[in-house]
Amino acid sequence: MIEGMLRSKGFVLAAAALTVIGGCQSQPKPEEMARTSLQTAPADLQLICANAAAGTAKVDSSKVLPTSSRQLDATSYSVDLDAGGRKFNCVVDASGSVKSVQPAA
Amino acid sequence: MTTTPDRNAADAGSSRFITRARKLGLVMLAAGLCLGPLAALAQTQIYDAKTRKWVNYDKKKARQYYARNNQLPEAFRRQVVTFRTAEKPGTIIIDGNQHFLYLVQPGGQAIRYGIGVGREGFGWAGIVRVGRMAEWPTWTPPAEMVARDPNAAKWAAGMPGGPDNPLGARALYLYEGDADTIYRIHGTVEPWTIGLDVSSGCIRMNNDDVTDLHSRVEVGAKVIVLMQGAALYKGV
Repeated sequence: MIEGMLRSKGFVLAAAALTVIGGCQSQPKPEEMARTSLQTAPADLQLICANAAAGTAKVDSSKVLPTSSRQLDATSYSVDLDAGGRKFNCVVDASGSVKSVQPAA
Repeated sequence: MTTTPDRNAADAGSSRFITRARKLGLVMLAAGLCLGPLAALAQTQIYDAKTRKWVNYDKKKARQYYARNNQLPEAFRRQVVTFRTAEKPGTIIIDGNQHFLYLVQPGGQAIRYGIGVGREGFGWAGIVRVGRMAEWPTWTPPAEMVARDPNAAKWAAGMPGGPDNPLGARALYLYEGDADTIYRIHGTVEPWTIGLDVSSGCIRMNNDDVTDLHSRVEVGAKVIVLMQGAALYKGV
């Protein structure tokens, strides 16, 4: 019976700990407590992709503009770009590392 | 006080008159574009720490929030953030979708300000520059607004800058090359609209923020406007 109670208490404690951890993980930082229904890539990551695409397309970076973006998974984003009229797609991770730049299909 | 371009135009000769009329038209179009009616493009949401849920943040909620707190939600207040970019310090980057304006700083940082942007169909994107700036700019209502609104009619010749002027405390006029795009970054008399899709293309900031930005920016500064689904592209 005591063993059962201990197990029960252990379960409750574990559940409480998970709840706390879960709460901490889901709460955004104050400066991140706003968003829109469009889940676009952060602006700096979009521009990192634009810089990378300028190199690939061999055009001046002032002629490359991100036109749309989306989150692929927890750590990476896809960014569509217009490079002087040519379309490119870039994948960048949250740390700012460009994974790929390719002409859009 | 800085006047609008039409007032600076020379007034001798017919060609000058045409130029002036064009400029007047541009100014009126700009005024109309910047102060258009309200509508939603993408739904803004803010995080409610009490319920731990994301809640929609529309014009009504925004007005209530501002009345209750006398300030914007924290995310839309001026703050220094990490910003990894190859753009040089002094560059302005506008994320129209997320309602932020970044002023690039040295050391991988930027000053982030909350903004209001163009409503559906009036968003635009591009690479432009600050062509000129004005303190307490004059606002000239467009002809159609003058025709339907007696309050606007009394300012048909231009409303002097001041605390009631819809353009607010400062205006940064955005140019594509040497041509005025008719879009501006300006202040507002409706600070609760920051974070929303409210204008017809202009970028609005609260007056403290646009004054701060104006003090840090130089004429000629590069301005990159990111806006997914934009109806118009400038400068690229």
